[in-house]
Amino acid sequence: MFDLNKIKEKAYLIAALAAVVVILIPIGYSIVTNLFAGPPQPRPFLEMPDEKYKECVRETEFMRQHHWELLRTIREEVVRYGKRTDININKCRECHVSREGFCNRCHNSVNLYPDCFGCHYYPEPSEMAEKMRKSGDKAILFGQSIERLPDLSGE
Amino acid sequence: MERRDFIKIAGGTFLAGSACAYAFRFLTASNIDGLIVENLTTGRKYGMVIDLTKCIPGCTACVEACHNENNVIHSGDKRWDIHWLRKVTIENKLSPEVGKKEVLLLCNHCDKPPCAQVCPVQATYKRHDGIVIVDHHRCIGCRYCVIACPYNARMFNFKSEEEWHNKDHPKRSHGVAEACTLCAHRLDKDQPPACVEACRNVGTGAIVVGDLNDPRSEISKLVESRAVKRLKEDLGTDPKVHYIGL
Amino acid sequence: MDIKFESIEGNSIPYMVMMSAFALMAVVGLITTFFIIEKGLWVTGMTNRVPWGLQIVMAVYYIGLSAGSLVISGLYGVFGKQEYKPFARIAVYLAMLFLIAGLLSILTDQGRMDRVFVEPFVYFNLRSMFSINPILYIGHILICVIYLWALFTEKRKLTTIVATTAFGWAFCVHSGTGAIFGFGARVLYESPLLPASFVAAAMASGTALMILMIVGLFKVTNRHVDDGLIIWLGRFLAVCLLVVVYFLMVENLYRAYVVELRSAAMYYLFGGIHSILFWFGLLLVGCFIPMFLLFRRKTGKQIRWIVLASALVVFGVLCERYVIVIPGLTHAPEIIAGMEIVQSPIDEGVANYSISILEILQALGVLGVIGFLFGFGLKYLKLLPDEARIYERAVPAVANIRKDESGVAVGK
Ligand code: SF4
Ligand code: SF4
Ligand code: SF4
Repeated sequence: MFDLNKIKEKAYLIAALAAVVVILIPIGYSIVTNLFAGPPQPRPFLEMPDEKYKECVRETEFMRQHHWELLRTIREEVVRYGKRTDININKCRECHVSREGFCNRCHNSVNLYPDCFGCHYYPEPSEMAEKMRKSGDKAILFGQSIERLPDLSGE
Repeated sequence: MERRDFIKIAGGTFLAGSACAYAFRFLTASNIDGLIVENLTTGRKYGMVIDLTKCIPGCTACVEACHNENNVIHSGDKRWDIHWLRKVTIENKLSPEVGKKEVLLLCNHCDKPPCAQVCPVQATYKRHDGIVIVDHHRCIGCRYCVIACPYNARMFNFKSEEEWHNKDHPKRSHGVAEACTLCAHRLDKDQPPACVEACRNVGTGAIVVGDLNDPRSEISKLVESRAVKRLKEDLGTDPKVHYIGL
Repeated sequence: MDIKFESIEGNSIPYMVMMSAFALMAVVGLITTFFIIEKGLWVTGMTNRVPWGLQIVMAVYYIGLSAGSLVISGLYGVFGKQEYKPFARIAVYLAMLFLIAGLLSILTDQGRMDRVFVEPFVYFNLRSMFSINPILYIGHILICVIYLWALFTEKRKLTTIVATTAFGWAFCVHSGTGAIFGFGARVLYESPLLPASFVAAAMASGTALMILMIVGLFKVTNRHVDDGLIIWLGRFLAVCLLVVVYFLMVENLYRAYVVELRSAAMYYLFGGIHSILFWFGLLLVGCFIPMFLLFRRKTGKQIRWIVLASALVVFGVLCERYVIVIPGLTHAPEIIAGMEIVQSPIDEGVANYSISILEILQALGVLGVIGFLFGFGLKYLKLLPDEARIYERAVPAVANIRKDESGVAVGK
């Protein structure tokens, strides 16, 4: 009266199709993009702040791995508990002049696009360049001092 | 292995895996430094007194100060403009001959806030010190709180603001709800809210914000000594904005 | 009396045309949604005074249809009415689809759709109706899936259990949806009757839609359905309508009677476009004309008229959803007791809401998605019975045996 087997066959077909969509497409995508990506990208060069800003709020290794967790914890404290300290998202911009050269360069290379600065202010490159010209700070590329400020003048 | 069994095992593993992933999210979401301490302002209960008898007709200093301080969108379109603080003219329904009066309307920071009750993600919540705030990192934009607020105090970011008025304070993206925060970011640093400061600068001092729990504070004395009214007290929301001379 | 379920061929031209039309609608809806995500919600007709619009109306409507369809399947699953077995599968499948449509409508209405999948589950708020309802909805979809599976594998006992659960759950789902509004703070929302009247309207619209679906599908695919089945459903629909009208009457009389609410009631009943929808769309077209058609002996027994009545009800309940959601928002709350706000930077008085074309495209997109899934289901699942007849109850053998005087049974 009721052909179970036939239904099952079709169900398997649909399930297989869904599996292809869900599993194979992302895998395939990453394989293909890897094949055609060309030589591996070098590690992103980050623009470091001037030498006189030696200390970040935590040591470098910690910040490299966990800065987002730190920011999230601080966010939770400030927004939900009203505990405001010296460390906040506006503090980053005091030393790291260029979001383009610091945050985004690393985020882009790992395909991450956090949207913090859609709402929080991060100065425009030209604005920062102005500030640096005034104070005489230099941007540093991996410890080397460079005279020209890359990407900062907004030209 | 039969196909049936395989599917059962695979499905089971998948379900268990997703449960683990879910649990993992919870674990990683906990704070890393153990930094969260108890709220600094616990024990306080912020409230506001607006003395309408002092308020200058036509003056909008506080409104402008609020909008500039908090980067509130005001593009000039009535439908989508946001007003954390607004000045309205009222008239008695039964006896209009009494004359018109100007009143400031804002979020009342209800002690039993219906807006926080209905928020599905606890984005709107009451702080320990009684300030009702929206966590814009969490709000999903369902607009249920806009509907639940009986004072029309809550508004929704249909558009986002283009300009930065106050660069130390964030704006909001479009798609989240917001209302007056009693300038919590300033109160936490023991500064008066922007509207209070603006009102003082005009020379009026009609708006007072302070701790209702502290009997020696200016606001407690005002509430104690003057005839204060609150809006829609019959609803039981227990608003904390008091009006003198309403 | 075994019923053979089968799927349709799905190769005919009309089927293909239908499927492509649905697919097109879905794609258009998707594009519209992305446009709205990009631009912000101001491109829709919603404003700060009327923050809920067509999407919420449609969501509530779909959820009603879902709960109603499940009731039809319950006739077989819960009450064991064998003659309604042919419709059970299609009813459950539709119930599932409409719930998905409801969820999609709510989803596409959010300001930050990217957060909808994580935050509501991590930061669950038990006091919010909006938080409880998705749990009810997702549970409903899961129950529908299990129910379908039980029906497909003909597990009699499981069917009864799941059907009973689903029946109760559908009531909760719909009462919960009503509670979103009924427990709100707006004058025209606040009513403990609202959840109950939501259930009644849901049953009416669900039954009406099932009648349309059954008659239409069986006609198009050349299957036989006994008139008696449809006529009985028609009568059920009429009773549901009676309950709907009763609830509406109680609610509005109460509002008009209590002094406090009288101005709100006047606004609701005579205050604008929604009043026209209320009187003509909901009451006249959606309730009284169908009730007249269904209760009248002559027309209540003709399939043609029953179908017409059902179509009117489906439209009428859509109007009902609109007049629940929108006037409650456009009506101005009295913020300062006894005072009228004459001048303000925002709209303080009666607000306007006009549906924008983008919202309509979005709603059509949702319809396209479930239409496509429905066509897909017809082709790949055995949803439709070969025929639907009222079987005479098999006469027990004992009745055929006449005993003669001496107590010896003799065959007739
Ligand atoms: S006034 Fe409105 S927004 Fe403010 S706390 Fe009360 S209910 Fe919430
Ligand atoms: S709009 Fe945001 S704050 Fe308001 S109820 Fe929804 S999630 Fe909560
Ligand atoms: S307290 Fe701050 S946010 Fe509230 S109305 Fe005054 S200035 Fe605006």
